[in-house]
Amino acid sequence: MTPEFYLGLAVLVIGTLAAARPRPHTYLSRMISLEIPAWGLLLIMLAYDETLALLTFIAVTAISTFVLVRVIERRGEP
Amino acid sequence: MIEFLTATLAAIVLAGAIATAWVRDPFSKLIALGVMIGGVIPFIVARGYLDVAIAVSLIAPIATIFVLLIAGRRDFYDA
Repeated sequence: MTPEFYLGLAVLVIGTLAAARPRPHTYLSRMISLEIPAWGLLLIMLAYDETLALLTFIAVTAISTFVLVRVIERRGEP
Repeated sequence: MIEFLTATLAAIVLAGAIATAWVRDPFSKLIALGVMIGGVIPFIVARGYLDVAIAVSLIAPIATIFVLLIAGRRDFYDA
């Protein structure tokens, strides 16, 4: 496979571990850590040449980040 | 793509990912995330997807700005 595939797999594993056990145990650090596996998945999609999947995934990730920010801001507790 | 550039950019991406997972301050996490995104974008450009690179370059800072809204408003680190 291409180097993007292996790099994406490594970033996906690192981000999954970081999102499962965030270091400050807060919603904010968990949400920031959740963006790492998203980029790993984007690299894997890049290795398989899926242009439409890349564009859709980037847009949906931004919208879901906005929704999560609104939810955490409304809840207020760490 | 040149092998040296591939290895260097892969090292930048891995360093950014590990630093994002490792540091504790939310602002430092966002900066390390920016380092990781800066390493990913040349991989997208090298395969010829300039439209995807434009979309990523426009949308990724917007997501960072949304996270900054709560990272700067309340200090989650001390709570």
